[in-house]
Amino acid sequence: MLEVQSLTKSFFGTAAVDDVSFRVEDGEILGFLGPNGAGKTTTMRMITGFLPPTAGRVSLAGVDVLARPLEAKRHLGYLPETLALYPEMRVREYLAYRARLCGVSRRDATARLSEALEKCFATDVADKPIGNLSKGYRQRVGLAAALVHRPMVLVLDEPTVGLDPRQIMKVRELIRDLKKDHTILLSTHILPEVELLCDRILIIDRGKIVAQGTPETLRQEMAQHPGLVVVLKGEIPEADVALKQIPGVAHASRIGAAGETRVLLESAERADLREAVFREVLARSWTLLEMTPRQASLEDVFVRLVAREEPDVEDAAAILARERAKTAEIPSFSEGPK
Amino acid sequence: MRALVAIVKREFLSYFVSPLAYVILTAFLLVSGSVFVLLVNALNAPETPSTAMMSLYFTNVFQWIFLMIVSSVISMRLLSEERKTGSIESLLTAPVSEATVVVGKFIGGWCFFLFLFLPTLVYPLLLSRYGRFDIGPVAAGYLGIALVGALFLAAGTFASALTKNQIVAAIVAFAIILGSFLVGIFRDLLPSANLRDALSYLNILDHMDDFSRGIVDTRRLVYVGSTVVFFLFLATRALEVNKGK
Repeated sequence: MLEVQSLTKSFFGTAAVDDVSFRVEDGEILGFLGPNGAGKTTTMRMITGFLPPTAGRVSLAGVDVLARPLEAKRHLGYLPETLALYPEMRVREYLAYRARLCGVSRRDATARLSEALEKCFATDVADKPIGNLSKGYRQRVGLAAALVHRPMVLVLDEPTVGLDPRQIMKVRELIRDLKKDHTILLSTHILPEVELLCDRILIIDRGKIVAQGTPETLRQEMAQHPGLVVVLKGEIPEADVALKQIPGVAHASRIGAAGETRVLLESAERADLREAVFREVLARSWTLLEMTPRQASLEDVFVRLVAREEPDVEDAAAILARERAKTAEIPSFSEGPK
Repeated sequence: MRALVAIVKREFLSYFVSPLAYVILTAFLLVSGSVFVLLVNALNAPETPSTAMMSLYFTNVFQWIFLMIVSSVISMRLLSEERKTGSIESLLTAPVSEATVVVGKFIGGWCFFLFLFLPTLVYPLLLSRYGRFDIGPVAAGYLGIALVGALFLAAGTFASALTKNQIVAAIVAFAIILGSFLVGIFRDLLPSANLRDALSYLNILDHMDDFSRGIVDTRRLVYVGSTVVFFLFLATRALEVNKGK
């Protein structure tokens, strides 16, 4: 179990993390979402005892991290965002070192080591120097190092970053598998990953929690505002502004595409916007190419919550759309050890 | 304790996978061997008064300046490298305290420093084969080297905790070490007698002189012990403050 109570961190008077509280139960995966710079890594660093919080309390498996750091950190497995291993060490040596560091006895170490290597599909590189490994394998070694002392709580900061699609699938499988014995806090900004893995989601922006709940509840909240994607011929800069004037439209944002204009509309209530949009397009004598109702996805939730007031909403939406397209196609090729 | 041993071991062994270790080892043996040969030659000249050969080996300033450089280079990477690569985050989120990390790294570096002197054991061996030889002062001399090495490396560990840049760490370490060496030597320039006494307590060459004559003075031990603890304490504080930056 992981518990965070009104955690706050200020740097030079500005709060990077502001009064964040949440709980992750045993056997649960909590997805920790937020745009870059929202305070995800800072929060994780406070949870792992690496950064002292300005205020608040963290407990790992019931042990207070601030009051009894050594005991609390025994229950913690942490995969940092910038994973730095010792390139000169062999994988087995490194894991043995980590095991000893975490107080595993010499007798148990061998067994724990093979177990961790196996879980992370890294047995075949066990005797290679870490410096010679590909990024994917290094990530797996990092994960194995986080598991080697069988911690109760796992804190994973963007575990699939930099991996190829096949490795991403494997790591996701692994994380789902780890859920049985661990409490997991998973930070990521890959939204499909969250939908696939997490039991609950927490969205943080500018240091504050802006939403939390199961993926379903968040989506349902979003279903109150059905979306409509309108595609117009040619580039029409004023399109989003014009379409936003239509009664019933809560939000309009451009989602890129060259040579045409693509606008995502969100209705205020469960209103059907199609007719109104059609008349508006007709009145302005634009050419309507496409009009597609859109199922609310987590991305919509995310963009709405996090990027609503920002000037570059269009960009955020475009990036997310692209990212979704990218993760959807999974080519099958395997990568062997270098 | 397990963690401390693990850190010491990793730190010590990691020297041998970098070219730096072999460069230091070679340079050290070259310099130390030359010093030895020069001293033997000088003592062989009929006009030199007779002294214990190894005592000169332990106390000549030339060797000491070189040791200061070597210590700075050995200690420069201890903490700054981990902070630069970011591996300090993995290290400090393991169930170990900052103090354990600092002490473990210090001991690891110190072990490498002592390792440098392993081949020099040949010199007393050679001397005992060809002349009258007193083992006591030589043993005390090595103890002195080990203690002063601990002092240098503790200062270097502190310097390494201050910055992510290894070169800067080495220069700061060298400045601290040389500074503490020089105040002892230039104490006679000071006007106040009390100050002179205080500074002579800090004089590392005096310490070595005692040891090389076979005198193991507890004041010397206390001096080195307390200074090492002081520097390691500072290093721990510096690491606590700097780790996340």
